[in-house]
Amino acid sequence: MIQLSNVSKYYDNEAVLKDISFFVDKGDLIYITGPSGAGKTTLLKLIYRAERPDEGSIHVAGWDVGELKQSTIPYLRRNIGVVFQDFKLLFNRNVFDNVALALRIHGLHPDEIKETVNEVLKDIGLRHKAHEFPQHLSGGEQQRVVIARAMVSKPTVLLADEPTGNLDPDTAQIIIKLFKEINARGTTVVIATHHSDLFDNTGRRVIHLKGGELIRESIG
Amino acid sequence: MRTFLYCLKTAVKNLGREKWINILTVLTIAVGLMILGAFILITLNLDSTIKQWSRGFGLVVYLKDDISANEENLMNEFFTKDSDIIEIKYISKALALKELQQTSGPMNSILEGFKENPLPASFELKLKVEALDPIRIKLKASQIRQLSGVDDVQYGEKWLSSLNTMTKGIKIITAVLGSIIFVAVAFATYSTIKILFYRRAEEIETLKLLGATRSFIRLPFLLEGIFVGTCGGIISISGLLAVYYFTTSKIIDFLPSLKGMIMFFPPEMYPVAPLAGAVMSLVGSFLAVGKIRY
Repeated sequence: MIQLSNVSKYYDNEAVLKDISFFVDKGDLIYITGPSGAGKTTLLKLIYRAERPDEGSIHVAGWDVGELKQSTIPYLRRNIGVVFQDFKLLFNRNVFDNVALALRIHGLHPDEIKETVNEVLKDIGLRHKAHEFPQHLSGGEQQRVVIARAMVSKPTVLLADEPTGNLDPDTAQIIIKLFKEINARGTTVVIATHHSDLFDNTGRRVIHLKGGELIRESIG
Repeated sequence: MRTFLYCLKTAVKNLGREKWINILTVLTIAVGLMILGAFILITLNLDSTIKQWSRGFGLVVYLKDDISANEENLMNEFFTKDSDIIEIKYISKALALKELQQTSGPMNSILEGFKENPLPASFELKLKVEALDPIRIKLKASQIRQLSGVDDVQYGEKWLSSLNTMTKGIKIITAVLGSIIFVAVAFATYSTIKILFYRRAEEIETLKLLGATRSFIRLPFLLEGIFVGTCGGIISISGLLAVYYFTTSKIIDFLPSLKGMIMFFPPEMYPVAPLAGAVMSLVGSFLAVGKIRY
């Protein structure tokens, strides 16, 4: 599903990722961990093609990501749901419209959009907040809206960048539970986090990064 | 189609959200197009006046005294075949003298001193307005001079040249002003859309990350530009019409002879203003959004 082969990325001649190779199978849930500046966010950005690798190749769901034309990138991104560290919610739209945006981009019929969004909002327990604006929601609720937006178009891959970064431990557990449920439906999930308690004793694959290098792989 | 409708809805919402900047742009475009419209109107009126003056323009072909009847007939036939000539008038020697005597008044005594009629017979040729090009007329005059029996060909060469220069000058000024206004209107929309584009930079970034295509991102801005330009155009033609009626009524109070002479655009031309506004604004919006990179 996701294949990185000898991937390197440089900013101002300084390597932020060095010779990274790993494979994520379809339906897997893996964690990428490491301290701040280890290259976790850059790695995710390379996967959804917000950045381009300077060396090596990346394949996601059959797409050669590094070689994509500008006009093809949107179609790759429609196959990848992303939970951004800074949420990227639109504060001039309510919860429903924020989630619906992903489907509007796909050009779905308004009735279908309404049905699907309401269903997803129900799944994440925010059906009653559909007409609220993001600024009136708690951090945990905002995070759940972001997850709903990432999932609503049923992507094959879900990437989450520090999804529990600003949340209290209880809310963090709810969010992680949501990811596990999403993964159980067959979606490949990659979670970047520096909180080891999220993956400890989960029995899942963990990729450890440090200074832009893949230092080891372990089972959480 | 669904995407288009969604983009249209987004554009309408955005127009409402940013109404003041959009109203300002509409007014800027309206003023620009009004200036252009006023200038085109002045040009059209001047052109019409010039055409009226030109209706009297013609060539005078003086004939040799010994011209034969056959040569005269051939010449007449030559003029009849020429599509640029709309009227042919033959002035015989006797008629020329009679006309001169009628117009010369006290100077008639000079004419009496001649034993024979000194005036030549001639053809007076009136040309259609479209043919009043100095080079074309010069060529025609030289062709006529080659005809057997022609003594001389005269026409208001200098007058025609001045008229032509004036008409060309007006057309050039209109074209230059038109281009300046086009750039100004496009720039007004460009600036507005650029500001709106920057204001929505985060939203655009999110859209890109969610997999929105370039056209999905661009379309609301282009529709917004088209709407703003169209409104500007409608206001400009309405304003121009109001100014026209007000001004002409004032002018006619002082110069009643001008009544019915100062014209406005025909009603079928009214949609040109909103259309021009829309096109100019579309160009401005397109440039403002620029190349979207992922």
